[in-house]
Amino acid sequence: MNKIEAEKGISTKPKTDKEVLLDIQNLKTYYPVKGGFLKRTVGNVKAVDDISFTINKGETLGLVGESGCGKSTTGRTILRLLKPTEGKIIFEGKDITTISGTRLRKARQDFQMVFQDPYASLNPTQSVGEIISEPLKNYKSMSKKDIKDEVMDLLSRVGLPPEAYHKYGHEFSGGQRQRIGIARALALKPKLIIADEPVSALDVSVQSQVLNLLKELQDEFKLTYLFIAHDLSVVKHMSDRIGVMYLGNLVEIATNDSLYAEPLHPYTQALISAIPEPNPKKRKKRIILQGDVPSPQNPPSGCPFHTRCPMAKEECSKVKPILKEVKPGHHVACILY
Amino acid sequence: MVNVTAGTAKPQEKSINMSPFAIARRKFLRNKLAMISSFFLLTVIIFSFLAPYITTQDITKVNISLMSLEPGGEHVLGTDKSGRDVFTRLLYGGRISLVVGFSCTALVILFGTVVGSIAGFYGGVVDSILMRFTDFVLNFPFLVFVIVLNTILFGIVNGLYVLIGVISLLSWGGVARIVRSKILAEKENEYILAAISIGCKPSKVIIRHLLPNVLSTIIVQATILFASMIVAESALSFLGFGVPQSIPSWGNMLSASQEADVLRDKPWIWMPPAIILVITILSINFIGEGLKDAFNPKSQR
Ligand SMILES: Nc1ncnc2c1ncn2[C@@H]1O[C@H](COP(=O)(O)OP(=O)(O)O)[C@@H](O)[C@H]1O
Ligand SMILES: [Mg+2]
Repeated sequence: MNKIEAEKGISTKPKTDKEVLLDIQNLKTYYPVKGGFLKRTVGNVKAVDDISFTINKGETLGLVGESGCGKSTTGRTILRLLKPTEGKIIFEGKDITTISGTRLRKARQDFQMVFQDPYASLNPTQSVGEIISEPLKNYKSMSKKDIKDEVMDLLSRVGLPPEAYHKYGHEFSGGQRQRIGIARALALKPKLIIADEPVSALDVSVQSQVLNLLKELQDEFKLTYLFIAHDLSVVKHMSDRIGVMYLGNLVEIATNDSLYAEPLHPYTQALISAIPEPNPKKRKKRIILQGDVPSPQNPPSGCPFHTRCPMAKEECSKVKPILKEVKPGHHVACILY
Repeated sequence: MVNVTAGTAKPQEKSINMSPFAIARRKFLRNKLAMISSFFLLTVIIFSFLAPYITTQDITKVNISLMSLEPGGEHVLGTDKSGRDVFTRLLYGGRISLVVGFSCTALVILFGTVVGSIAGFYGGVVDSILMRFTDFVLNFPFLVFVIVLNTILFGIVNGLYVLIGVISLLSWGGVARIVRSKILAEKENEYILAAISIGCKPSKVIIRHLLPNVLSTIIVQATILFASMIVAESALSFLGFGVPQSIPSWGNMLSASQEADVLRDKPWIWMPPAIILVITILSINFIGEGLKDAFNPKSQR
């Protein structure tokens, strides 16, 4: 019987017809730079400079790029923790770019964040029980007992002992603190979780445990992830699709397999060549990029990558390439394609 | 006892389940100088507030037959030039000095924290406006303002309230600046972003998340302020612009020493308030140091 129902499910919802959960259109986030003795705005750090992508329900989109390329800013802007300078954020068909006050607070239930720094992301004056119950108290009219039961349940789901309830953050290791942060993000049963480098501050031995936990929770709660990381090897195991960022721009976005099998953008090629390959026969020549990342306050004209690109041509400095689909589901922003 | 090592728990003895404040309290209780100072301050407070039960002497009635008596006998610390008992006035004076100091501190901390935390949390235009206003208040000529207001309001409002109000209104600027800078640093932590994303209103983010984490700074500031407010009261009263002359305070008692013969020949009139003032200020400062140490996560124990 189950089988029939399952087949029915598939037939009514073909795999190609994916539901879009999040639609980002031409998003820009600039940080104003104040200067001079009157503290006037003298420039902008173009941390996110016109990016567009979508995330489908239930999938994990990985977002990679070097440190400082604007990944955190992207994540925080999507959650409306930062004010977007331009563009649109559409969540479940609703435009949340400009909502504020009570409407924004209501909307926040559906999207949560797991933060990068396991030490700074927990309030040192709150006990674990207070930290995890706070989202419930903010939104749900539940009795004290129900809240406590719910928190206990969350603790066990993220693999923490019940005794953790009365303890404080400083009594835990980095990995455990990250689990506390995950439980807090999970408390409201959100639809989207943005994980901003959730394991980059952890010991390598603990990283895979936390990654596995995130995967298990995704299946259990039908979560959609935007998974941010600064190296491709972590993202590879987590994502269905991967977006590559450089200097506030999205330079390539493709399915996991397609990106690894055939990276198109010269920057992606360089990143992939930098992943350590244990098999010496498969090893390819590592592409070493020349020069430094330009300042996002004063980005190069044309293609943002042309100053370091081994394949740069003259027109690269003049025309900014737009992201276009060169193969089904594989988008790249480069004039070579 | 034997199978204690069974778990992987660290041998961290009793620091289990302790909030940062519980840890600070334990450190403070182990600080001898701070504990002695607390004990002394508490004694002064208790004696001052139990004054009516300790002595039955009248604090205001002038008694010409008992003028400037030396210590001893019925008057433990002697009498002043109007024949009033110095010991009694010391106790009642402590009451006024402590109440003025405490009220000013409380008001200053309240104004300063509200202004500083709102400016620091919201930033931008709100911050600019509030901080310019703070600068304006900080640059106000304090003494002139006190004297003018005291003169205008004399007889209309109780002089004591005028004094507390004026000192408080002109003194919160420093606290506002310190609280703002602490909040600015603290709000960069990701737990503030987390608080916003789990649906806390701005007021809740400030009260539940930011203020508890800058509370140690505020408490230390409050102790320093408490000492300087007592000094301010004494100084103003000494100059004759503070607590009305009819009410005894340590500052008012000290102002008797402005007369040369009192200063030279009758030390029992001005020495007791001077000594008690110095020791009180010192112990408040030691308590402040102890608190600072206790809240510092880098100090031992
Ligand atoms: N609050 C801020 N004010 C000004 N510039 C900022 C701020 N936060 C980040 N930036 C700048 O924006 C750029 C992108 O930062 P971020 O989004 O944190 O990158 P990533 O997460 O990819 O490391 C960097 O150049 C960084 O210096
Ligand atoms: Mg980041």
